[in-house]
Amino acid sequence: MSGSSELFAIAAHLHVQLRRKTGRVIDTEWLATNAEYARAIVRFTRERAAAEGHADLLPWADKLEAAIVAMGAAPRKTLLDVAAEALRAAPGPAPSGEQPHKYVGGLR
Amino acid sequence: MPEDISGPALAALDSLSGADTAWVMVSTALVLLMTLPGIGLFYGGMVRRFNALNTMASVMAIAALVSVLWFAIAYSLAFTPGGELGGFIGGLSRAGFAGLGYFGPDGQVAVSHLAPRLPESVFALFQLSFAVITCALVVGALVERMKFGALLGFAGLWLLLVYAPIAHWVWEPGGWLAQLGALDFAGGAVVHINAGAAALVCAYALGPRQGYGREPFLPFNLGLTMAGTGLLWVGWFGFNGGSALAADGRAGLAMVVTHIAAAAGALAWMLAEYAARRRATLLGLCSGVVAGLVAITPAAGFVGPRAALLIGVAAGFACYWGATGLKRLLRADDSLDVFGVHGVGGLVGALLTGALADPAISGQQGSLLTQLIACVAVLGYSLVMTTVVLFIVSRFAGLRVGADAERQGLDAALHNERLGG
Repeated sequence: MSGSSELFAIAAHLHVQLRRKTGRVIDTEWLATNAEYARAIVRFTRERAAAEGHADLLPWADKLEAAIVAMGAAPRKTLLDVAAEALRAAPGPAPSGEQPHKYVGGLR
Repeated sequence: MPEDISGPALAALDSLSGADTAWVMVSTALVLLMTLPGIGLFYGGMVRRFNALNTMASVMAIAALVSVLWFAIAYSLAFTPGGELGGFIGGLSRAGFAGLGYFGPDGQVAVSHLAPRLPESVFALFQLSFAVITCALVVGALVERMKFGALLGFAGLWLLLVYAPIAHWVWEPGGWLAQLGALDFAGGAVVHINAGAAALVCAYALGPRQGYGREPFLPFNLGLTMAGTGLLWVGWFGFNGGSALAADGRAGLAMVVTHIAAAAGALAWMLAEYAARRRATLLGLCSGVVAGLVAITPAAGFVGPRAALLIGVAAGFACYWGATGLKRLLRADDSLDVFGVHGVGGLVGALLTGALADPAISGQQGSLLTQLIACVAVLGYSLVMTTVVLFIVSRFAGLRVGADAERQGLDAALHNERLGG
């Protein structure tokens, strides 16, 4: 199976599984051609698998992640992403009013 | 009356005390409630959402495993005289579920030499509930990353090689620490110092969780932790009050000092936390309650209310430091602060028992030196033998789940279940 058809096969399978298990509808064509979108779907799939106990989704997230390398596309950051990362890196109060290091390295 | 027996024996049914028997039966149920569901809720609320079920399952499975092993062999090793090695380990006369007999037509019943006015079945079950909670306490140090099978292997071996010998040293009259005069009314050393030391070794052996110290590990539901704390607080009346092994004035006093120390521990922790961080947290209050309860455990049958207040306050401050400053010094991912609360609280309580024990209550004089020897012996033995037990288990099973399973969460990866919601 060529890299492209394998990607489409993974995308199609994930499309069905994610819609059935999580209600999320993904764009299979965009997934098979855009590495940034594919990475986001890998993250989403793993998060939902952990949060909702869908262990069978994890192998597909792994397959997609492996296939992204074959796409050869370096992740491109939008201006919005760059600005968001800069903001996250900047020191500032935690949004909930909790101490900034709450629950890091200890509960108490 | 078989008051002077030196080992388990048969006694006439009419030599038993109905009131004592009933109280210890109730206390047994209270102590089991501390674990099932007390510790399950207390710990389950503090771990991350995707590991809460695994934490509860660990507590439940340990309770079942320890229960079977207790009657199979551990009870005999802990609470029977041991011949030439009697200072260090008990014999096998009660191994294989033997000796808990009740012979109605003959008017006889088995009794333990430690509690000749109760059926031995009740005494053995009461002591079982202590073994269960001690093993379950260690879970707090190894949550979110240990293999389930390895955990059970560890708990079984630890019960036999660590808990049973230490219980024998301290509580069986022939045990070497009992002979030395060490005071441990309900398990400050046997339960709390022991579990705290084991927890520390487990934390070092397993290593930190992925992202520890870099990412916030949000507790699943501190409401569950509060519910667990409530069960622990109420259950501790059985833990300490029941350890009098009689429905008498000493049991009543033990309950009062238990309650005072719990309340004082909560207030002291709250003050310490407020002084350091300008916040009084629910988890801090819960932790302070447990700190006070832990510290009064060895002292409960030996001290009065004022001493209990002092012990509770000292434990609240000391355990706050144990779970924060000391934790940073030790650099171990003791995930739910078992050593910081139970280890430190147990040490504080055991030592203060030596200083504050009132001979007018029990007829026994405390000795700081004897208590220190007992603390060092239990701490040292538990540290070394827990290392040995972990080494044995690691040869057979490996201790830690894979990186993917840890990232995914143990609820899904190990149990294929979720807690709900």
